[in-house]
Amino acid sequence: MSAEIAYSHTPTDGFHTQTSTLQEATEKLIRTHIPPGGTSQVELQKRYHFEFLLRNLRQGFPERYTSQDASQPWLIYWTLHGFSLLGAGLDDLTKKRTIETLLALQHPEGGFAGGPGQAAHLLPTYAAVCAFAIVGRPGPGGGWESIDRQKMYKFFMSLKQPDGSFLVSHHGEVDVRGIYCLLVVATLLNLLTPELLAGVPDFLATCQTYEGGFGNASFPGWAFEADDPESEKPSNASFDPTAPRPPLGEAHGGYTFCATASWVILQSYIEHYYARPDVSSATSLPIRPEINTRGLLRWCTQMQGLPIELGGFRGRTNKLVDGCYSWWVGGCVVLVEALLGVGVLHDSPTEGQGGEEEGPKAWDDVDDSLFDRKALQEYILCAGQHPAGGLRDKPPKPADAYHTLYCAAGLSAAQHRVVPSDARRHAVISAWDPVQARAHDGTGVVSAASDAEREKLDVLRRETCAHVLSWTEEEGTALYVGGSANRVNATHPVFNLTVTHSDAMMAYFYGQSLPSRLPSRPKA
Amino acid sequence: MSELGLLADDPEWADVTPIRQYENVNPIAPIFYSEEYKDATDYFRAVVKAGETSPRVLKLTEKIIRMNPAHYTAWQHRYKTLIALQSDLEEELRLMDDIAKQFLKTYQVWHHRRLLLTAINSVDVAQLELEFLKDVLEVDTKNYHTWSYRQWILAHFNKEARLWAGERPYAEALLDADVRNNSAWHHRFFVVFSSGEKIALAPNNPSAWNYLRGVLEFTKTPFETLTSFVLPYTASKPPAPEDEVVDLDNPLPSQDAELPCVAALEFLADVYEKRGGDDTAKAVEVSVPMTRVFKQADLRVQFWKTLANEKDIIRKKYWEYRIREALQRAT
Repeated sequence: MSAEIAYSHTPTDGFHTQTSTLQEATEKLIRTHIPPGGTSQVELQKRYHFEFLLRNLRQGFPERYTSQDASQPWLIYWTLHGFSLLGAGLDDLTKKRTIETLLALQHPEGGFAGGPGQAAHLLPTYAAVCAFAIVGRPGPGGGWESIDRQKMYKFFMSLKQPDGSFLVSHHGEVDVRGIYCLLVVATLLNLLTPELLAGVPDFLATCQTYEGGFGNASFPGWAFEADDPESEKPSNASFDPTAPRPPLGEAHGGYTFCATASWVILQSYIEHYYARPDVSSATSLPIRPEINTRGLLRWCTQMQGLPIELGGFRGRTNKLVDGCYSWWVGGCVVLVEALLGVGVLHDSPTEGQGGEEEGPKAWDDVDDSLFDRKALQEYILCAGQHPAGGLRDKPPKPADAYHTLYCAAGLSAAQHRVVPSDARRHAVISAWDPVQARAHDGTGVVSAASDAEREKLDVLRRETCAHVLSWTEEEGTALYVGGSANRVNATHPVFNLTVTHSDAMMAYFYGQSLPSRLPSRPKA
Repeated sequence: MSELGLLADDPEWADVTPIRQYENVNPIAPIFYSEEYKDATDYFRAVVKAGETSPRVLKLTEKIIRMNPAHYTAWQHRYKTLIALQSDLEEELRLMDDIAKQFLKTYQVWHHRRLLLTAINSVDVAQLELEFLKDVLEVDTKNYHTWSYRQWILAHFNKEARLWAGERPYAEALLDADVRNNSAWHHRFFVVFSSGEKIALAPNNPSAWNYLRGVLEFTKTPFETLTSFVLPYTASKPPAPEDEVVDLDNPLPSQDAELPCVAALEFLADVYEKRGGDDTAKAVEVSVPMTRVFKQADLRVQFWKTLANEKDIIRKKYWEYRIREALQRAT
């Protein structure tokens, strides 16, 4: 293959428009960042990125970050998880200050706000809880015990809409980012209930567009709070969650990640609280909603740019590549693989058909991702690094806190294959203590349920936990462009935390002592 | 202008004790705010805590929003205040016009309009909104939130034919201006789909192909029905001008088209995949440009291999997955 073909431009067919002109200019610019001697020597400037993060954490952010004043937990989470990925631990004083800062963001009525005195909101709630996973611990002063989970659950329920979706805050908008944030927090903190999850899969399914990716929301089933004088009539009684609803907004990388990760978290709920179409007449359960998983895979892989764009990802069809989509789309591919049953460690039933023993195992020998991992690393290393430290959208843009994390997380997703492991799932289930898990319920509403309902909920929580806790790095599949000095730590594909952090937090909030994570069996 | 002064110096606010952001906490990762922003938000915290909804709150929240349009609590409290004061919400919309244009990429800017329009609940106002959004989309034709809001208006007033009437021509006009504008394609799908001739303009345009595939899937039309349209795009070069026969249903690629087109190869492979999947036993022979004569089941593999190894190498893993998956399903 000659270099000329390898770096061919996006065909314009001699027909130029604003989109193709911008695309051409970007290809020209990115092309200049391809090292003449190839990418085998390219370095991740860890030292500079570390200093960039440290400066933000210790000295703070310059005035232009006022636009992030309502996203303060995000600034903290992006920075702290950036350290985790770079392999830097935090000293006790930093942890203590972070815990105190985070607690100042907890809203008196539950949930976390973007800043002190601001309203609670699902997005900062995710960021704050993830930051707590990184800096917190059990016991006094560790922060975890100070999270008011019962109020948080009430806050979540106060945002619930008849179509299954959630407002992101009171008087706020509905979109799938909020759903993802809520589901992650509810999973980490032992707040899953059927009333919380009701209708969520149906809503998500309506957000998938004809392209295969997901848009931000769908219509309608969206209502004001009942106490609002201008409210639309709440339509709980008559709302049909299965009615077709158009997705609002085109397929987009950020929403696609959020919807896909949510769908992964909801697998056990969908399994136990919905009926398969073929058996639906025999039960009172609603029919399982479906998404087009193959179309989703196609869309995700279509978002990877050409070699001349260094294999970075774009967030929408015919838009430009941007380092942050390394995570939102590049990091989404492994989630879609899991939904398709591709690359699951050890034999596993495909597509819910059962047949654990006899199921097709043709994929087990396939230990590589369905996107170009090498190319994505090249984009991040060659175009995503700012020479002064921090990572970015693309040259010549400045680095910022957001892009630094999502480029680093995307690099991690391209270096490591973290996939669901059946062995790990079984180990978690065997060691699971249902009495403790129920005793550690954070909602305070479970005691009102009937015995049968509670038993079903026990199963839901155990299986959801066992699944998310089962994600494990597949031995022998790491790939480091530029050599292993460029290694960053692996990150959990659903949560975007290290498994050390998410395991510890879940063990605490479910009252479990999880089996230790032994290095998994090397591949034969 | 009092707008630029500090509230701390303003007698109108003398009755309020501002609340600092962090009391007794030395925050990690702090932001260095301007004096003005710090002043306004200190008073805002006091306003929220007291639950004050008065005309001066409208001034204060506007001031904060202009400095930081992502301050969702300021928007939330502003909305509550507007309702409490029974303010003229259409006037509010006009006031927000330039803020919307200035801060296009902020969620809250658009969500606020949605709350207002829902409360106003007037088709006339909705019509004006659609006009306003045309202006905005002229500045940024792919603005996500603007598009999402426009589609929400149409869905919210879905029985109002006059709102919908202009949408298809509007989507068409935007595609005339830039046939690669995926937001316009999505809008066209949202409004009403019809496929076709636009692929011929610029064949290597994933927006157009995704649209076409979406329409076929939505209407449950087999991909196969478009085989004769797609075939010329899988050739290695456009047809010679003298060979061209004008066929409005199957417009041919332009002379400048860079062929074969990756999306067309994929499309054809999907056609064969469907046939192979439906009836693997039959080995009907089909001749295709650029390939020899293959059994159908092999044809799709041939196309995917061409994509994986030659025409779309960055997606090699994906095309190889399609091959494995298809072969596995066949056995």
